[in-house]
Amino acid sequence: MDSVFDELYKKYHHDVFQFLFYMVRNREQAEDLVQEVYIRVFKSYTRFEGKSSEKTWLFSIARNVAIDYFRKQKGWKDKLMEKFDWSTNQVKDDYPIPEEITIQKEEIQWIYKCLEYCTVDQRAVVILRFIHDLSIAETAKALGWTESKVKTTQHRSLKVIKKHMEAFYEKEGMHSEKVRVER
Amino acid sequence: MKKSEWSDREIEELLRKMPKIQDYRDPRDIYQNLSFKRRKSPSWVLPSIAAAAALFLVLVLGPKLFDGGGRAQLSLDKAGGEKTVEDKSLMRKNETGANKITMSSMDKNSEKRAPELMKSAVYDEEVGNGKVITYWIPDDQVQNLIPVSMIIKDPQNKSWLDLFNEQMERLNEDGWGLTDYYPIKAKFSLDKKNQTLDVNVPSDHPYGQGAANEKFIDILKKDIASNSNLKKVRLFTNGKPGIEFGNYGNIPELTIEPEKNHAFLFYYPNKNESPFLVPTIESFKTIKDALIAMKKDLPDYGLKKSMMFELQEKDLAIRNKTLHVSVKKDSKIKNDQQTLFSYEALLLTAKEFGLEKVVINDAPLKQIGPFHLSEENKVPIAPNLRNIDY
Repeated sequence: MDSVFDELYKKYHHDVFQFLFYMVRNREQAEDLVQEVYIRVFKSYTRFEGKSSEKTWLFSIARNVAIDYFRKQKGWKDKLMEKFDWSTNQVKDDYPIPEEITIQKEEIQWIYKCLEYCTVDQRAVVILRFIHDLSIAETAKALGWTESKVKTTQHRSLKVIKKHMEAFYEKEGMHSEKVRVER
Repeated sequence: MKKSEWSDREIEELLRKMPKIQDYRDPRDIYQNLSFKRRKSPSWVLPSIAAAAALFLVLVLGPKLFDGGGRAQLSLDKAGGEKTVEDKSLMRKNETGANKITMSSMDKNSEKRAPELMKSAVYDEEVGNGKVITYWIPDDQVQNLIPVSMIIKDPQNKSWLDLFNEQMERLNEDGWGLTDYYPIKAKFSLDKKNQTLDVNVPSDHPYGQGAANEKFIDILKKDIASNSNLKKVRLFTNGKPGIEFGNYGNIPELTIEPEKNHAFLFYYPNKNESPFLVPTIESFKTIKDALIAMKKDLPDYGLKKSMMFELQEKDLAIRNKTLHVSVKKDSKIKNDQQTLFSYEALLLTAKEFGLEKVVINDAPLKQIGPFHLSEENKVPIAPNLRNIDY
C-alpha cells in the first residue's frame, strides 16, 4: 500500500469518516465520500506544504466533499416526493438510524435526529467542536472562517438543536413519562 | 433522566457523548477502490458491457421463454412466491432492528424537515482574511459566461494577479458542467505605474478562432473587472503588440469598463444540480425592469427565471443604498433551497445597481436558510462560490 495512504489512514481515517458520517447521517454515503476525500488529498498533497495542521486540512477537504455531495443531490422537494409513501401517507426514511445510535439512550438519539434540522454549516461546526473536540481556532481553520463566525454559528446551531429537543420531548417523551414543566 | 429544557452546556455535553463511529472496512479494500477510481475507465465502457450482456441474454433466453409457454410461466410464479416470502422475513428483520424508531412523529411532518439549505454566493463574513477571486467560465454551449468564485484563505500578501494565475490551473470546469477553458494560455504582467495589464499570448495561441476562444476578449474583460480596478489592458502576441482575432482583426488594447445593471437568472449545468446564478447579457435601465426580467425564462440563452417571490414592484424604494421591496400579502414563500437561491439572485441583482443591502417588508416568512428576510441583508461579495482543495 501507498505509504502516504497508510500514514493518513492510521492517523485520521476514523476521524474523517466519523465527521462525514455525522454530516450525511448515512454509513454507505460516508464510505463513498471518504474515498473522494482520499482522491482529493492525493491530487493536492504536494501543494499542501504543511500550511496548516494535517488534521484541519483533511477536515476542510472532507467538508468540501460533503458540501459538493449536498449540492449534487436533487432538490429536497423532489427527494421528499420520491420518499413519500402515498399508501400510508408517511415519509419513508431511507436513512435508517444506525445501530450505534439506536443502542444509546433516548436523548442521544434525539440529538442525532436534531442534527438533521441544522444547516450544513451549523452541523459542521457542532460536529467539529463537540464530537471531535476541536478548539474554536482549529474549527475556524478547518472551515476557513473567522473565529467569530464559528462562535455565532455554534450559538445558532445549539439554539436549533435545543428547539427540536424540546419538540421531541413534547411529542415523544410525554408518552412515557409525565414531568411537570414549570416555566 | 428526561427533561423538557436543556441549557447550551447540557446540549454540548450530550453532543460530546455521541458514539464514536468507525469505518469497519479493511484499509486495503479502501485503498484498492481508490486505485480503481484513479484509473477511471471512460464512461462508456461499463454501459456498453452491460448492454452487450443484456443483448446476449435476450438472444439466449428469448426463444426459450416464448417456447416454454405455460411451463416457463409456472416456474416464474414459483420464483415470485419465494421472493415474497424472503421479502417478508427481511422486513421483519428490519422492524426489529435499526428501522424501529426511524419514524418519529416529527418525521411525519414533512414541512418541518430542514432541507440542506446552502448559500451559493460569497459573503463578507466568510472571507475573513482571505481573498476572493472570480473567473468567468463559458457554459457548455458557450452561450453564457458564468462567474465562479473562490476564497483563497491564506493569500500571504500575494497580489490578485498572483492568485489569479495560481488558481486558474485548479479550476474544475468539467466537474461543474462548464467548458474547460482555463488556464488561459498567456503571460500576464502588471504595469503598476500605468495601471495597465499586459497580456502576452504565444504565436500559436488558440484565441483567434473557434466558438469558445472567441469569447477571449469578453472573458478577459470580465475577469479583470471582477478582480481588480484596472482600466486598461495591452495585448501582445509573442511580444509584438496586438492579438489577431478572426472576427475583429488585430486588437492592441482593451478598455475595461465595469459592467452594471444586469439581472441574475438561473443556469442549470445539467438537470437536478444546483443552478449557477448568472447575469443576463442585456443590461436594464432600472432595477424594477431587472426584477421583472427575473420572472421570465430566457430560453435562447438556456437561462431559467430566478424570481420565486411575488414582488410588488410598484412599492419598491431605495433609501441609503438599501433596496426595500414588499411581497404580495398572500404569496407563498417556502423556506427551501430554490427560494434561497432566488433570494440570492435578488441580492446580486441589487448589487448590480450599486445597492448594498436589501430588506423585504412584510415578508410572509421570517427566514430563508440563514437570511432573516425583514432585516437588512448585505449583498454578496461575489457570486457562485465553489470549493477548490488547496
